[in-house]
Amino acid sequence: MIKENNPPELPVGKEYWKSLDSLADTPGFEDWVSREFPEGASMLDGVQRRSFVKLMAASFGLAGLGMTGCRRPEHVILPYGKSPEELIPGVPAYYATSQPSSRGYIPLIVESHQGRPTKVEGNPSYLPYGGSTDIYSQASVLDLYDPDRAQGSFSRKQLKSGVNRWKKVPTASILDSLTEEVSSGKVALLANHSHSLTRGSLIEKAKAKGIKFFEHDVVDYCSAERQLGEALGIELGMRAVPKLGSAKRVLSLDNDFLGNREANELANSKSFMGGRKVLNPGDAKKMNRLYMVEADLSRTGGVADHRLRLDSSRMTAFASLVAAELLSKTKTIDAAVINHLKKLGVGAKKHQAWVLEVVADLLSLPKQSVVLAGSHLPEEVQLIAYAMNRALGSIGQTIDYLQTDNTDGSIGSLVKLIEDGEIERLIILGGNPIYHTKGFINWENLSKKLKYTARLGASIDESSQIADHHIGQSHYLESWDLGLTWDKSVAVPVQPLLAPLFDTISETSLLAHLIGEDGDDHSRVKDLHETLSSGARFDDFLRLGYLDYKATLVNDVDPKSAILSIKPKQVKAAPLSADQLDILIIPDFHAHDGQYSNNGWMQECPDPISKLTWDNALLISPVLALELEAKHPGIGLLPKPTMLNKSGQIAPDVAQFDGGKQKAPVVVVSLDDRKIEAPLYVQPGLADYTVVATLGFGRTHVGRVGQGTGYDSTPLLNGSGSLILKGASLEPTGRFQILANVQEHWSMEGRAIVREANADEYISDPDFADHMGAESHSPPMWGKDQDKSLEEKATSTPRGNSAYEHPDHTYEKSDVFGIHQWGMTIDLNQCTGCSACVVACQSENNIPVVGKDQVLRGREMHWIRLDRYFSSTARDGAEIPSDVQVSFQGVACMHCETAPCESVCPVNATVHDEEGLNAMAYNRCVGTRYCANNCPYKVRRFNFFDWNKRKTDELYQGPIGDKNDSLVDMGKNPDVTVRMRGIMEKCTYCVQRIQESKIRTKVNAQRTAKLESGKDGAGIKLETSDLKVPDGTIKTACQQVCPSEAIVFGDISDPKSEVSKLKNNPRDYSVLGYLNTRPRTTFLAKVRNPNPRMPDFASSPHSAREYHDKAHPSHHGDEHGAH
Amino acid sequence: MRNIFPRWSNTIPVKLIISLGILGAVVTAGITYYATPKYTRVGYQPTQPVSYNHEFHAGELGLDCRYCHTGVDKSSHANVPGANVCMSCHQNIKGDSPLLEPVRASFYGEDSNKDGKLSEGEDINGDGILNAGPAIPWVRIHKAPDYVYFNHAIHVNRGISCVECHGRVDQMVEVHHDKHLSMAFCLDCHRNPEKALRPMDEVTNLSWQASDKDGVDPLIAQVHAGLELKDNWGVHPPLSCTGCHR
Repeated sequence: MIKENNPPELPVGKEYWKSLDSLADTPGFEDWVSREFPEGASMLDGVQRRSFVKLMAASFGLAGLGMTGCRRPEHVILPYGKSPEELIPGVPAYYATSQPSSRGYIPLIVESHQGRPTKVEGNPSYLPYGGSTDIYSQASVLDLYDPDRAQGSFSRKQLKSGVNRWKKVPTASILDSLTEEVSSGKVALLANHSHSLTRGSLIEKAKAKGIKFFEHDVVDYCSAERQLGEALGIELGMRAVPKLGSAKRVLSLDNDFLGNREANELANSKSFMGGRKVLNPGDAKKMNRLYMVEADLSRTGGVADHRLRLDSSRMTAFASLVAAELLSKTKTIDAAVINHLKKLGVGAKKHQAWVLEVVADLLSLPKQSVVLAGSHLPEEVQLIAYAMNRALGSIGQTIDYLQTDNTDGSIGSLVKLIEDGEIERLIILGGNPIYHTKGFINWENLSKKLKYTARLGASIDESSQIADHHIGQSHYLESWDLGLTWDKSVAVPVQPLLAPLFDTISETSLLAHLIGEDGDDHSRVKDLHETLSSGARFDDFLRLGYLDYKATLVNDVDPKSAILSIKPKQVKAAPLSADQLDILIIPDFHAHDGQYSNNGWMQECPDPISKLTWDNALLISPVLALELEAKHPGIGLLPKPTMLNKSGQIAPDVAQFDGGKQKAPVVVVSLDDRKIEAPLYVQPGLADYTVVATLGFGRTHVGRVGQGTGYDSTPLLNGSGSLILKGASLEPTGRFQILANVQEHWSMEGRAIVREANADEYISDPDFADHMGAESHSPPMWGKDQDKSLEEKATSTPRGNSAYEHPDHTYEKSDVFGIHQWGMTIDLNQCTGCSACVVACQSENNIPVVGKDQVLRGREMHWIRLDRYFSSTARDGAEIPSDVQVSFQGVACMHCETAPCESVCPVNATVHDEEGLNAMAYNRCVGTRYCANNCPYKVRRFNFFDWNKRKTDELYQGPIGDKNDSLVDMGKNPDVTVRMRGIMEKCTYCVQRIQESKIRTKVNAQRTAKLESGKDGAGIKLETSDLKVPDGTIKTACQQVCPSEAIVFGDISDPKSEVSKLKNNPRDYSVLGYLNTRPRTTFLAKVRNPNPRMPDFASSPHSAREYHDKAHPSHHGDEHGAH
Repeated sequence: MRNIFPRWSNTIPVKLIISLGILGAVVTAGITYYATPKYTRVGYQPTQPVSYNHEFHAGELGLDCRYCHTGVDKSSHANVPGANVCMSCHQNIKGDSPLLEPVRASFYGEDSNKDGKLSEGEDINGDGILNAGPAIPWVRIHKAPDYVYFNHAIHVNRGISCVECHGRVDQMVEVHHDKHLSMAFCLDCHRNPEKALRPMDEVTNLSWQASDKDGVDPLIAQVHAGLELKDNWGVHPPLSCTGCHR
């Protein structure tokens, strides 16, 4: 027996590992990866094969009897009585609108099919986002068709058992009673912070009428700007808006500017990742560099060139240390301030070496460097970051400080006023304050002091439970509004795409009603536009979707006295240990603060880092996991080294994985007298003694999708508004929870899948990607055509190029060879892992949601998945490393020219088309799943059930199961088939968009030529170039949504197309190229830009070093020649 | 000598005959159902809610197809006209015909005094809009399966006439399903588009035929003309799945 806390050394680790289990190389895992579908995925549940055959025989017999049942049902066509102008049935309409959110209004273009909004895209006229959207905007269209929406307004009746019964009443009648209540006075409004100008003006009028207004946000993106303004002693907010396009050196103090913890994710992704675009060695020299200091592992940390793990409570001390070093070098501030900062920074002294080099690097490019502080950090950090940016000369160059309004009363003051009897009537507008604040407000007692409570909300949730009336809130696609983007550079309209589906009203309508204002939302928006634009045309505003708006910059403020007033007591933090933990509470990837917890797309989209779906977990560091394991043996957190496996390595047992289902131990988290229960998840890259909890889960009053998912972390929150909590401890309960983690599926471990190099390596060897992988050892894939151009290879090399004879596909010899050859590149250097592509694809292609139970069986349906790999420096055996590098790789169908799936299909359901698409004819597929078996990329998805037709909990009932609510069907894209049970499906390169563009190009060419000729069209002559779709016309859904433009799609037979140019870049490589599948989707290798002077510098990315260690164990460091 | 065949084998011939009979009946029924035009709905002619006469309007009066089916050259879908299209003529002609009652009901809707303005007492559902009446429930005759994405615009604009799929609608009093519109039907034309291509101006002229200058067979004349158009216009109809199935 080997002692558990003394793990023996393993000879060599894996290059890439996707989970603790795969790293550990267990026999169970090997068995697991050797199967195509995870265990259980291809088994019939509950029905034995024999009885299944019996049943089928009987049903075939019955089918024969009722032949008349096969007749096509009678359809009717219902045309308009008066056709609306400019509406052509079958042609989608696009409207400019925007999504109101706490991160500012997000400009959108929404596609509508005969009045049904189906797909959300970014508005490309708003340049900072460049036509991209985040994942939440993509998913928001599903909320419109959520069957669990409040489909009208309701009045509450509490039964004796304490259960609330809701009775539907017309909204108009509730509004009438609301008018009465308001006239009695002592009214308060409680709402989320909003960037709406319409609401702002209405609130001002309401305040003038004596209505009090309070705001509460649990994830408060605006807290940083308020705190900074306060700290500097000015009456206004100071919003830091980074301009990363001109930044070359970025130090981020726990600022997740590429993720959902900061507001301007899209603009930051576009500008920052734009500075990492490397097309030639010259670009690599100019590449930007990111230093990240953080407690959890965020997506921004995944992109960082240098990452320092630091517990949340240490951030202020660390910031002080950096500032002390930086300001002492710039000499722009008094020595007293520097000495004070040095004193404050004592607690972070052990990071001195790291800090010195960062400061030197920041100072090497003044005015092109910037320091960013996380919006959840205390005001001292905001202040210190401001002082550093000021000293670096970054203000106005790489960061702007915008003037914002001071916000309204907080929820704490509201509670006090209610307790004092100053407020008797409460109207809650949107949000979900009771869910978020129940940790420090006793709403049950408080509601007894209220005479009347009304709630405006999209669904009946926790906050409705104390309300007398719940008023259904219209979705933003059903409302008029006008608001500002986060950077306040433009005002954008919210215009409805359809009239409210149900008896619901918008927030602004309700407010206008409260203050007795006449007119509808439309006229209010129109009037507001008129004042803002001084008379420009309203129609143009709606068509363009934005109006320039001038934000005011804050004048320079000297932070000297403010810094000197920071008391060392505020910065000093108690020592951390397993019993004195920091808790960092962050918005959840899936649910954000809870507003998306009933959204199936969001629930099922895997968290980019942890890869969890349908749940949240309490993330803990490997160091803490080891300590917990030592303290509570048998907690079941880490693999235990117990026995030898087949290959002679010490293998841990697979206790925490049960058939690929992750068993997470449930612990009690205690913080003072607050307690919650949560499943643990060991996350590499976390600060040792910070545990990360997420918001938005464990909701008690939520629709069918969000019911029973995750744990609730809000009871931990106190009234301070801080999301960093100190002094927590964990105690195991002995119970386990199964987490639906998709990271075990389709592992591509141990090969040069993601290829990476440092910028220096890339400059000296731009072809590095070609020198990696098995294909660098094999004869050229293209045979004698190896050196031909991409265009020639795509159009003339017979597919296969193998020993077998292949049909001649050359353009000259074949009448049916397409005039385009489609291909795609994915730039791994641009990907931040935001996963917006996953949901965009789901929305565009009618991809169903399968539910947690089916995800656990490995049956998720996403056409594009985002593989996340970790790599690290030398590890000690099976020990989980703490410092990791993260690599993301989006994998969808590669459209291989010699596709292995095609040759095994017995019914020719998957074949190549003339333009290089690997087509999937659903109506021909019989569901043998041979193709998925033969796909080396594991990108094919099988419909085990009628996901689209049946309710998720009725799947196993088969045809007798209940059907889905038809409301959801309204959001389906009519240009894409809705697949049924027994059908294989996969990425089609958005073939519907390709076909539409081709048709439009041909029709336009033909009509234009005819008009020009003036004849009957018989004599016109069209060249191939006239019929070709211009480059850039077709954007796949994943490409269109991507903020960092990582995905490029186009015609590879056109040497001038964007995609051809990228494919000719030396960084371009094929994944598993040695299989000679000749994929049409290729990847551009990743380039990292570390600083050689940093203490944690590695001359190669960890993954590249591990690859070379394994591929060439005998000659370390030898130049690997090209073949 | 022992019997070679056991006793039970005596019934085999009878069983065989009965089985063959059943098999024959099933095959006959199957063919009758699946291999006749009835299955593909050729000849399907439902009764429409308004007895619109295509022969009179499109044939005798010579209305262009696109006068009513306005979206056919712009959209994948050839729309059935709204009641407003009918009423653009029938407000003046045969305005009181009882046959047009459903059209009038659909067009005027809440507008009971037919002045086009919202007057006192007309807003029945109280939404402040003068709503149109109930839609006319035209019965669909031609229907491609849900997994087929047929696009009218590309066919009409590239010189494929309506007549190729819908037959001589200008000679039909009541429209019926004329061609079987199976996948073979589509592919036949996609493989040999020259059999159907015609000048763009003649697309809605259902009686058009390629001119046979040299007195050759009209079919051959069509192929000659079609081949020339195919070459000039670069017509390569898709033959793979993605052309129609998405």
